Amino acid sequence: MTLPDFTLIAPQIIVLLAALLVPGLHILTRNDKLVGMVSIAAIVAAGLYLGWMILEGVEGSFLGVYAVDAFSLLLTGLFLMVALLVLLASLNSVERDRHHGEYYALILAATAGMMFVACAQDLIGIFVGVELTSISSYALVAFRKNDPRAAEAAVKYLVIGGLSTALTLYGFSLLYGVTQSTNLAEIALAIGAAPSAALYVSMALIIAGLGFKITTVPFHMWAPDVYEGATAPVATFLAVGSKKMGFVALFKIFLVGFIAAQATVVSDMQYLFAVLAAITMTVGNVVALSQTNMKRLLAYSSIAQAGYLMMVLAIATEYAVIGGLFHMITHVFMKGGAFIIVAALCYLSMGEKLSDYKGLAKRAPVLAFSMLIFLFALAGIPPLAGFVSKFVLFSSAVGSPGAEMAGQWIWLVFIAVINSAISLYYYARVVKFMYVDEGESEERITVPMPFMAAIGICLVAVIAIGLYPEPVIKLCEAAAAALLG
Amino acid sequence: MTDYLLSMMLFAPLVGAVIALFMTGDKLKYARWVALVFSAIPLGISLLLLATFNSDGPFSSSFAWIETASLKIQYLLYIDGLSMVMVLLTTLLVFLVVLFSWEEKERPNFFFALILGMQTGLLGVFMAADYFLFFIFWEVALIPMYFLINLWGGPRRHYAAIKFFIYTHVSSLVMLIGIFALAFQAANIEGWTQLSFAFADISNVMFASGFQVLVFGLLFFGFAVKMPVVPFHTWLPDAHVEAPTAGSVLLAGVMLKMGSYGIIRICLDVLPDGAVAWQIPMIVIALVAIVYGALACIAQRDLKKMVAFSSISHMGMVLLGIATLSDIGIAAGAFQMFAHGLITAVLFMVCGIVGHNVGTRQIPLLGGLAEKMPNYAAFMMFGFMASLGLPGLVGFVAEFNILAAFYNWGNAEGMAWVIIIGLASLLLTAGYYLWAMQRSIFGPVTDKVDVSKVHDVSVYEGVSLAVLCGLIALFGIWPAFAWDLIFPVAEGLAAVWGVI
Repeated sequence: MTLPDFTLIAPQIIVLLAALLVPGLHILTRNDKLVGMVSIAAIVAAGLYLGWMILEGVEGSFLGVYAVDAFSLLLTGLFLMVALLVLLASLNSVERDRHHGEYYALILAATAGMMFVACAQDLIGIFVGVELTSISSYALVAFRKNDPRAAEAAVKYLVIGGLSTALTLYGFSLLYGVTQSTNLAEIALAIGAAPSAALYVSMALIIAGLGFKITTVPFHMWAPDVYEGATAPVATFLAVGSKKMGFVALFKIFLVGFIAAQATVVSDMQYLFAVLAAITMTVGNVVALSQTNMKRLLAYSSIAQAGYLMMVLAIATEYAVIGGLFHMITHVFMKGGAFIIVAALCYLSMGEKLSDYKGLAKRAPVLAFSMLIFLFALAGIPPLAGFVSKFVLFSSAVGSPGAEMAGQWIWLVFIAVINSAISLYYYARVVKFMYVDEGESEERITVPMPFMAAIGICLVAVIAIGLYPEPVIKLCEAAAAALLG
Repeated sequence: MTDYLLSMMLFAPLVGAVIALFMTGDKLKYARWVALVFSAIPLGISLLLLATFNSDGPFSSSFAWIETASLKIQYLLYIDGLSMVMVLLTTLLVFLVVLFSWEEKERPNFFFALILGMQTGLLGVFMAADYFLFFIFWEVALIPMYFLINLWGGPRRHYAAIKFFIYTHVSSLVMLIGIFALAFQAANIEGWTQLSFAFADISNVMFASGFQVLVFGLLFFGFAVKMPVVPFHTWLPDAHVEAPTAGSVLLAGVMLKMGSYGIIRICLDVLPDGAVAWQIPMIVIALVAIVYGALACIAQRDLKKMVAFSSISHMGMVLLGIATLSDIGIAAGAFQMFAHGLITAVLFMVCGIVGHNVGTRQIPLLGGLAEKMPNYAAFMMFGFMASLGLPGLVGFVAEFNILAAFYNWGNAEGMAWVIIIGLASLLLTAGYYLWAMQRSIFGPVTDKVDVSKVHDVSVYEGVSLAVLCGLIALFGIWPAFAWDLIFPVAEGLAAVWGVI
């Protein structure tokens, strides 16, 4: 018997080992900073190894469950980046809390779960990864267990998360029943025949189950409450990390499993996704207009961004997948950056209300400028990263290079565009608070280094990708080609 | 060499903006010097380009930028006669605006940084030869204006700023959908596997008529909101009334021209069949804008709001010229863009000075200012006369040719009588300007506001106004300067429809 090639999933193994090591290390040393640094080191090590794999163009399959290709490498890297940002933002945020070992272990475990989903080519693999991340995040939300807001958020998240898991699993089991396989490629082959009622039911269950994860309307209600109750770094993780994982799972199941099969059920599903996308982006943006709490505002804006990303499932062309992946990448930096600024200001007890941001431009010019860049990038103002990714994503609704222009999704791009304009209103409102209004105090604020490092990474990425997106688009093109085979 | 010259002209203001931002604390007073230097650089380069235009023009510059399996986006700059005139207008007005705002006291570093940043956006729109690049600059120009209105504006500035921002952003996005359609359809027709966004690539493609009509509508909407024409004009009076003088000058002087420039450069060039289908709607919209703008002017009490509505009327003239789809009409429309840019700058500066020095712009509260501020009154008279189309000044040349082209069109269509509408608008224009002048600067000195301590125009304001007035007179008697640059471009465009 030959052993499987463990080097293929080495990044995942590094992160998992670190997750197991960190609590023990904390018990032995009682050094809060050390465990944080070790976690960051593990992420960086995994990232470096991954970088080598990307440069070498490593490909392969681990036991037929986890595939290593351009798609999984790109997404694994993205999730490692999320983890790095969240860990940097956590170093100071949790310094007054206890149980550091567990905190970092949970973040690492959740990250490993997302990384496994990125590689999974099997329903079981997807499910295990999603659950590893979900269960870790329930505990992360409840981390400040003495804070009633956190406890409430955690209970909500746990109950809804449990329900969504049950729905997903039931959907998976029906799908297995119909197709006799858990392997996505084999499912794609088996679906080719006439669709059965059970297939529709299973798809509905999967959409509902994973819909919770990606906060699509009508399964979005938990998100603002949970983001508000959780600590800001954890909210960052949920908004930019675990949501992306939900999308990756959906892309795998629907794009690989169904679309590739060219089955008759596909076009029905596409319309369903189009309608869900339109509703999700509209609800997210319209409700965000009236928010007065920064975390809730960003939560609704995340819901809206989920709506934009859902367009990919509706359009289902390779070019759309490129746009979707690109937007996922830029969204990590834009939304991550904005959330980390909120985390930094929470840490400095500035409050998280919009009105607390009055006069921020005078108190912390760099922070305010970064926030301005992130928000304008989210609104899709050029020449920032968010513009270029929206440019590719929205244009995919109009057509696909080299293909006949169908015009089928033109209505969707109009809705997306109107939404983009609506979103500008609430982003500009925050900018107005920061730059135009006078604050009560003019005292300068200094933000600890780790926050500034995380914000700096995001800022550089948002501006650099905006000005020179070519390398990132090329990565996305390779990933999309790998995903769709 | 020109490769770098063009980029230097484009990005020098942006560099200046960053430097100006760092002029804080003790160095605050140097911000204006930074602004002066970094707005003089593009002015100098544009004059240099103008001097060599006949021998070396048109200028172009190209660099590869984003080239992947599915996208081909280049950094392409191109200056032909039309762009040259618009670039000159932009560099000149920004330089004069900096001079005019020399004594800005409130956060001058941020103020001048915004003006310089906006210049890069404006110049980029007039120089870009790739749709992606064009759109980036188009949007970049918006943001500084949002801040200018929001931070230095009048009492209702927050409302005006956000209205301006959202309104024009929506229109840009609709235009963007039109651009997507063009790019995909071009790739489809030509069999490219890569989406190309270069003007030159796309303008060579023959699009089907039906497609042209649809996409013309999308693009025209984007440009028309910017111009703006009735019924998409409502953001303009609000933005102008609240904006600081420098903002108003650049908004009316240059930013509105982005819309009409887009129609000439993109709509007419790429979608000639669409233009024919949209000709009558465009002419109707233009006439409505001209007449409605003029009528609204008569009703205004606020001098600045009156000038704002007069912009709508005059931009309607631009559209009317373009909509004739004849070489003279298009050239005259573009010439009107140039003329209106110079004239409206004078008008908004005049409004700004009266608001600042007297404390109100309400026409009924003013009166007899000529006695208190003789130099001011002279500039105001000159500006008003230029705007109402006094022969010998630059506005007359533009309007005369537009109306001539319009008459030609009407005559060919068998309805020469339409010219009466155009002529009537000239009458209305003369009416509101003369009436406003009579009430504000002539007659007995007002007793409704305290004018005992009012002082005349300052040196910096006087110099900016004098330069503009000089140019208005110069190009009035020597229109060939701009006309010879613009006309070949217009001729090239109009060749598609034959001689009308």
